[in-house]
Amino acid sequence: MIRFKRIAVGVMLLMTCLLAVADSSIVVRDAWVREAPPGAAVLAAYFTLENTGTKEDKLVAVRGPDFDKIEIHATEIRDGIARMIALDALPIAPHAVVRLAPGGYHLMLHHPRRALAAGMSVKLELRFESGTRLTVVAPVRRAEAGTAHHH
Amino acid sequence: MVTRKTLISATLVAALGVILVLGVLAGRAFREPARAISIAGMTVLEPASPLPEFRLHDQNNQVFDLARLQGKWSFVFFGYTHCPDICPTTLVVLRDVQKIAGGKEQGIQYIFVSVDPDRDNAATLKSYLPYFHPEFIGATGGHGELMRLTRALGAYYESGEASGGNYEVHHSAAIFLIDPEARLRALFAGPHDAARLAQGLQRLKGG
Repeated sequence: MIRFKRIAVGVMLLMTCLLAVADSSIVVRDAWVREAPPGAAVLAAYFTLENTGTKEDKLVAVRGPDFDKIEIHATEIRDGIARMIALDALPIAPHAVVRLAPGGYHLMLHHPRRALAAGMSVKLELRFESGTRLTVVAPVRRAEAGTAHHH
Repeated sequence: MVTRKTLISATLVAALGVILVLGVLAGRAFREPARAISIAGMTVLEPASPLPEFRLHDQNNQVFDLARLQGKWSFVFFGYTHCPDICPTTLVVLRDVQKIAGGKEQGIQYIFVSVDPDRDNAATLKSYLPYFHPEFIGATGGHGELMRLTRALGAYYESGEASGGNYEVHHSAAIFLIDPEARLRALFAGPHDAARLAQGLQRLKGG
């Protein structure tokens, strides 16, 4: 009986895990970190989020072992003034694609714990309101011009 | 009578029209250089606006003042190094302008003015700027001196609320172009494009 219970719990746990994966309708693509000058206190990360599901989800937090703190930001240019806005959450509507790109939404990566140069990569764990957690490996790249956009 | 009145009015309107057109044409002829320049996002100042004295320091701790703007064309951008997105994006654009238009040898300099002197000093700028281009000049100074320059250029900056030991600095997104007589000659609104900036400078140099 006890044995059966254990197996049942095990099966249930396994199913929950599978469900958590199957349930995630968020897809992360093209993650990268902008290489910064040596000694820079902050870096930016960019990627594309796609919601393939029928319910809105929100990016609510990001963790990463290489940084002291990670924030979700938007660069906003209003009346010629550039401002960085810290966001509590970044909503992704059903079937929508949200791009984090230079000059717009980005992750602000505070105080890298190791020197990061092009060719290296960092791990970022994206946490969503739905409970979904996605880990991405983002390569560090030197930014080329012509990538700035307005959102 | 009605026909005559109408005729007179019509003649008057036509005459006024002719005078207006002539006036516009004459005005255009007098402002020849301004007409030649029409680049998206670029505003040319006619006449150029002289800048006041100011005193900052560059990344080598040398005085950076009005005299450093004389005899060269200068692209000036305001920002700060704790800015991970728009500042490096703009500096990469300026690096590309340098590739197209040239630098010191062509009498053109690129200046990044940090409006965050509490965190940025000569040493910070010295390690930050060569990544973009070894010729780039970094400058900063006390808020009073920074404001003398920003005010004269019509630029703006302000430190935001501190949270968790960090604060953002809001700043003008524009790139300013100073002529060899140390006068504000043009400004470019973002989003910036290297080809457009280089073209704008070329037109002004030629005009």
